[in-house]
Amino acid sequence: MAYYISQLINGICQGSIYALMAIGFSVVMGVVGLVTFTHGEVIMLGAFASYYAFAMFGNHLLVGILASFGASFLIGVVIYKVCYERFFDAPHHISLLCTIGMSMLLKNLAQILFGPNFKPLLEVLPNRFYGVGSVGISLVQLTVIATVISLSLLLFLFFNRTRWGVQLRAVCQDRKAASLMGINVKLTSMLGNCIGCGLGGVAGMLLAIYYQTLIATMGGPAGMKAFSASVLGGMTNVPSAALGGVVLGVVENLGITFTNASFRDVFAFLFLLGVLILRPEGFARKLGNRS
Amino acid sequence: MTLAPAAKASWSRGRIRTLGLVLLLLLLLGFPQIYPKSYVMGVMCRILLYAILAGSLNIINGYSGQFNIGHAGFFCVGAYSEALFAMKIGMSFWAALPLGGIMAALIGLVVSLPTFKLRGVYLAIVTLGASELIRLVALNWEGLTGGPMGVKGIPAPVLFGLRISKATRYYYIFLFLAVLFFFVTDRVVKSRVGRAWVAIREDEAAARSLGVETARYKAMNFMYGAFWAGIAGAAFAPYFKFISPDMFNLDEGFNILSMVIIGGQGTLAGPAVGAVIVNFLTEVLRPVAQYRMVLYALLIIGMMWLRPQGLVGVSNSILAERKAWRSRRKAAAPGGAAR
Amino acid sequence: MRNTGRNLVAWLCALLAGAVVAGAATPTYRIGVLAPITGSNAEFGKGFQIATQMAAEEINAKGQMTIELVVKDSKGDPKESADLARQFGDDSSVMAIIGDFTSSCCMANAPIVDEAGLVQLSPTASNPAYASMSKYCFSIMGRQDGEAPFFSTYLLKKFAKAKKIGVLWVNSDWGKSAHDNLVAQARKDGLDVAADVNYMPDEQDFSSAIAKLRQAGPDHVILMDQGPVPTIINQIAQANWKDVKVTTLGPGTSAQILNLCKQNAEGLLLTTPFFIDASNGPAKAWSDKFQSRAGFPPTVHGACAYDCTYMLAAAIKNSGSKVTRESIQSNLKNLKGFVGLTGPITFNKDAGDVFRKYLIIAVEKGQFVRKTDYSYAN
Repeated sequence: MAYYISQLINGICQGSIYALMAIGFSVVMGVVGLVTFTHGEVIMLGAFASYYAFAMFGNHLLVGILASFGASFLIGVVIYKVCYERFFDAPHHISLLCTIGMSMLLKNLAQILFGPNFKPLLEVLPNRFYGVGSVGISLVQLTVIATVISLSLLLFLFFNRTRWGVQLRAVCQDRKAASLMGINVKLTSMLGNCIGCGLGGVAGMLLAIYYQTLIATMGGPAGMKAFSASVLGGMTNVPSAALGGVVLGVVENLGITFTNASFRDVFAFLFLLGVLILRPEGFARKLGNRS
Repeated sequence: MTLAPAAKASWSRGRIRTLGLVLLLLLLLGFPQIYPKSYVMGVMCRILLYAILAGSLNIINGYSGQFNIGHAGFFCVGAYSEALFAMKIGMSFWAALPLGGIMAALIGLVVSLPTFKLRGVYLAIVTLGASELIRLVALNWEGLTGGPMGVKGIPAPVLFGLRISKATRYYYIFLFLAVLFFFVTDRVVKSRVGRAWVAIREDEAAARSLGVETARYKAMNFMYGAFWAGIAGAAFAPYFKFISPDMFNLDEGFNILSMVIIGGQGTLAGPAVGAVIVNFLTEVLRPVAQYRMVLYALLIIGMMWLRPQGLVGVSNSILAERKAWRSRRKAAAPGGAAR
Repeated sequence: MRNTGRNLVAWLCALLAGAVVAGAATPTYRIGVLAPITGSNAEFGKGFQIATQMAAEEINAKGQMTIELVVKDSKGDPKESADLARQFGDDSSVMAIIGDFTSSCCMANAPIVDEAGLVQLSPTASNPAYASMSKYCFSIMGRQDGEAPFFSTYLLKKFAKAKKIGVLWVNSDWGKSAHDNLVAQARKDGLDVAADVNYMPDEQDFSSAIAKLRQAGPDHVILMDQGPVPTIINQIAQANWKDVKVTTLGPGTSAQILNLCKQNAEGLLLTTPFFIDASNGPAKAWSDKFQSRAGFPPTVHGACAYDCTYMLAAAIKNSGSKVTRESIQSNLKNLKGFVGLTGPITFNKDAGDVFRKYLIIAVEKGQFVRKTDYSYAN
């Protein structure tokens, strides 16, 4: 019994990281309206930004969050300019292929710049454990969950209580109408993209802290998990994406308890394919008319 | 009517093209005699292999407009089928080769079946997921595939008592398969089936309204592309003598995709050109291998910016549009039309 | 005064002539080196690179032959390794290969080197099935059906007095052979194999595997892998699993363990066929030289690579005037009385591998300390 509880806790913790990745992905998808393959690499770059920030300024969590958010935000600008700006009126597959190219570019540049090996990230948080025996939660896990919850709250406040947030939601719903209302659609789309990327970057930092290691090729699987999780919500609905992330984490970890650790990705893909085939538009009510 | 002179003009152009192809074929046949160095032969084998792989992906992406980015999965099925048939039940290469293609085609059918209603992006993701699932099955089903340790020591094909294992000899197998692929595909593309595919690509709704059974043709298209990828895989396995699941990961799929994008979609020559360019760059840039991938990425982005249909891709098609078709027409019609 | 100028010129001419004659006299032999210079086993790959370089420089300085090393990065990936092996095979100037590191890579290359008639002398492949794949396949590490049973009987049962064990192993050619041999012997020794968990190569997250092991309540866990071992040790500590003793088979006295695990590695037990400490005088000088070049101390893996280079040089020398790939193979197989840095090496009769003797090492106060003697197992 204790074993299953601890696996459940593992699942919730990992699920919350997936949730953050999926939230970022949904924000990008919703505001820009085009699917992106670059989210995985953005996550990876956020992890590396925090790694170097920790090395330069010491092991403070806030430093890591700011560094990873900031770096990914800036990368979001580049991705926007290269892959989206020109192609809003073009057939969707062109920007999709562009993002595939961009993700290849980022991944390989990262391997050249940061080296192709695993980099250890140790002792960012003290190794404390709260619980009895093997059932309990570690400080790292608590911090991860707390970070995700606070960032989600911040995002919620941003979307609903600030002017920029309202503009973002308007662009999400209907680009033409939004531009008729005087909203600078291009700038807003870029902002939305960058916020989504920033969130992905923080998720990358959390992944690195949780696994205590990072590597330039970690983007691929991370991006797939983000995708799987957000598909549950139709790819644009943020709360459903978060839920999808947690569900995915729990399903993965519980699935592993009954089979073998190597089946982890099998569950993620079966989950993804299941949702896509059964209900491609997701389980939430649609926010706008994005396909 | 100016039919007669027009017919004469295209006839001589066609004749020139045929002559060019025959010359190319003769050159390729004689190549090993001119330049028998093993290393060069290895590169040629690889180019021919990828010409088939990229070509088969192009059938799916370039001719029917479906978006498949998980082609490595079919490659994997073909390779493992051949390896397992040869090693577990001692089947000869020549029998296992078409079987590998058929296995891949069946998997192609399974993948395409649930996706008829899915639009572009969703289909792409499903193909991605399917490719990874195939690889994960190969990775986890240890009893059958050897798991992460792969299949080692795959037996070489034997033709009339002659063992074909060095690159110089294996080259002819790849050449034969590549020529066969192009010949058959040329026929298929020009047939009714091929025209249905192109119609689906350009405007699926219009095609359906004209009576084209899109679901059936899309499935056929997927199976055809998967079949040839499986053939390529089945030819590859004994050549490399060793296969393991991580040879068929997403990166490999993107590798094949980049050849199609760079070389050209929607034409037969496009993917072949792409295969030559990408593999040539691989060899030339081997000392700085990481930069090679950066270069491909830049080429892909560049193509999307400047020429989305690829270098030798089909120009008068939706693949070449950088602006959506409707907005272009709106711009052309004076004063904007009310729709 | 005038004569010094002319004398100087004469000396220079003599030197030049000598150099030309010497260069013309020593034939050059190209030897390929396959190693995971990047990837999770990079520490060991770099060890290969540096150790073989040191050996080649020493051999070249003696003047009888010139060894030219062609080092290629296989990234620890069997596909990459097979590709590079094929290239070496096709390059007729390459006389032999030193490498690769993992049994997976070596076994993948076996049919290729067999076809090319090219010796593949691996310093570290320990899967018992490897060397019998081809007469060109050799390894000097010591087979897993030697090390794993030693680990079970002498380290676990006799030294650590373990009762209930949990095994965590990487699902690769090496890991499987190590696991199978260990568990078979453990059962014979009367140990209770309470948990048996494996993972794919390149796995990063071991938390669920660790939880599974923990659930069975073993008193000792055995980690069977190389590069990822420090990460696993850290994740065990992170899971707050304090009442278990950690042992490992595979990484040897890897510096990474000390660097990355720091406190968490305290009390770790492992086996290795070779260890350099104060009692091993001549090896200490070698180890210092290695450390000054590499920046980290050597493990048995690097020392084996060093010995491999010398073995090939001996095989080349014994080939006499006609040195071919074939002659290297037969002279290597029949090499008698070779004593390297890692001890005496003679290949088994029916396959190109060896059996070794082992030591037990512990981590105490952040250092590797030898706990037993070679005679312990006898």
